[in-house]
Amino acid sequence: MSTNGRSTALTPSEAEPAHELHERQLLVGRDLRTEEMVLNIGPQHPATHGVLRVVIKTDGEIVRALQPHVGNLHRCAEKIGESVPYYQWVPYVDRMDYLAAMCNEHVACMAIEQLGDIQIPERAEYIRVIVAEVQRILSHLMAIGVYGLDLGAFTPFLHQFRERERGMDLLDHISGGRLLYHYVRIGGVKRDLSRDWLDELDAFLAAVEKRLPEYNLLLMENRIFQERTCGIGVIDRDTAVRWGVTGPGLRAAGVDWDLRRDAPYSVYDRFDFDVPHGESGIAGVLGDCFQRHWIRAKEVEQSVRIVRQALAQMPEGPVMANLPKSFRPAAGEVYVRGENPRGELACYFVSEGKDTAYRCRCRGPSYSNIAVITEVAEGVLIADLVALIGSMDIVLGEVDR
Amino acid sequence: MAKTSPAGDASTNEADPITKAALDLIQRELPDAVVASESGGKHPWIRVKPESLRAVARLVRDDEGLAMDCCHLVSGVDWQADDELEAVYHLCSYAKKPDAEYRKRTPKNDPWLCIKVRVPRGAPDVPTVMDIWTGADWHERETFDLVGIRFTGRKELRRILLPEDWPGHPLRKDWVTPATYHGVPIVPPEGL
Repeated sequence: MSTNGRSTALTPSEAEPAHELHERQLLVGRDLRTEEMVLNIGPQHPATHGVLRVVIKTDGEIVRALQPHVGNLHRCAEKIGESVPYYQWVPYVDRMDYLAAMCNEHVACMAIEQLGDIQIPERAEYIRVIVAEVQRILSHLMAIGVYGLDLGAFTPFLHQFRERERGMDLLDHISGGRLLYHYVRIGGVKRDLSRDWLDELDAFLAAVEKRLPEYNLLLMENRIFQERTCGIGVIDRDTAVRWGVTGPGLRAAGVDWDLRRDAPYSVYDRFDFDVPHGESGIAGVLGDCFQRHWIRAKEVEQSVRIVRQALAQMPEGPVMANLPKSFRPAAGEVYVRGENPRGELACYFVSEGKDTAYRCRCRGPSYSNIAVITEVAEGVLIADLVALIGSMDIVLGEVDR
Repeated sequence: MAKTSPAGDASTNEADPITKAALDLIQRELPDAVVASESGGKHPWIRVKPESLRAVARLVRDDEGLAMDCCHLVSGVDWQADDELEAVYHLCSYAKKPDAEYRKRTPKNDPWLCIKVRVPRGAPDVPTVMDIWTGADWHERETFDLVGIRFTGRKELRRILLPEDWPGHPLRKDWVTPATYHGVPIVPPEGL
């Protein structure tokens, strides 16, 4: 540490208050341009949530232009989908959005089933909804905790792992995997739920309901958190829709849209739930980082509601349809989308009547959700860029596929 | 799946209202644009001429009834047997909500619209729609990268997922995996 450092060189009376310094820096950026510097962030940087590389042109602390570089995690998911039989491709879907593997499997299996005109047992549909919603809770808990970590709040990050761990155990107990499950399969699900598991699920839901208000208190009611997120990284309705932002990012921009309600798939039309959208009424403005965080917290509550209703309605019966050994859907196409924690995952299949797909294409919601930052990050501070990228809650496995 | 009707069901042949409305609109405003279409089944689509693509895109985006304000996905398909490449656009609307009747429809209960264009494999030039739907930017780059459709009239059509110097477009049907990349073996000695 230098003894000529600023803190020792200035007496307290000479030192400027922090907020005035901040404002002057902004003015320098706007009117008196300083020399621009190109700064590389990532690909291995904790604030980029994976292997995202962002090259920014900075003017002091202000981002003037930004170019995300993706593809570091490209594992040829589509090429593999065109080389292996349909049922062998399902485990690869887990590895796209690895924080929402159950939801990915659900959408991919729905697409393949629609392609092959497969009817699945009703109980399997309910189990799929239950595991997908448990997955959504886990994914959102992770997003909520990590977002605090991005902004310097370490505590909620550690606390959310307590509930997340229980949820991961839950999914582990039915599938044998903690992160990647291959539980939802073409024709239904791998195995039925046991009585013990249902008790475990009840305890998990109760724990989430109890703890979620605590996380909200730690983050959303926190003055520092609010100042770091309110009015920062505003993505308005027009920008969100133009760029194809989906999920919490779209709903935070004020669009009342959720595929589970507006184009219901599986058995989602049998449940009563709300779609949180627009302003939180707590702090911030429409479409900013705070609203995106708030939407996720509210969606956890709704997912708990959906799981409870699904448990109450779930019929008895088989969980797997009888399928022929070799699955060859007739020639044709399908486009199926589903509401994942991060937005709309879509699968486009072209079949030529063979056991492998002629064309297998996936839309990862994070891909469009991160593309939008090229436009909205112009003019923000570098520290706010971290807040912006964190609030989009991207998973690079899904961006690069 | 509960929503899927079995093959041969009468409802399979019923026209999708959104595709039908788009088809009527395009045929009214741009009589020469449509090459072929399929308005029923699980995956209805409209194929237009490449030179009409941008006019069609503006039409379906700006029409109040359709309001296709979002380009959900751009895909490329290599039809090697026909010596053609196909660009497939899946569009959707966040301004218009489907009514309850639409949600109950089978086999397609999701209100997207599919527009396709086909171009010869030798000259795969498709006009860009990036200025119409900004989000098409990265999807077009990906389609260029993996399938090799050249989108014209847009800024910097660079590769996005693969390295800049990667040879060829891996999702073309005639693509052969090279043995090495910069001296590093791609296919392990024991095979894939």
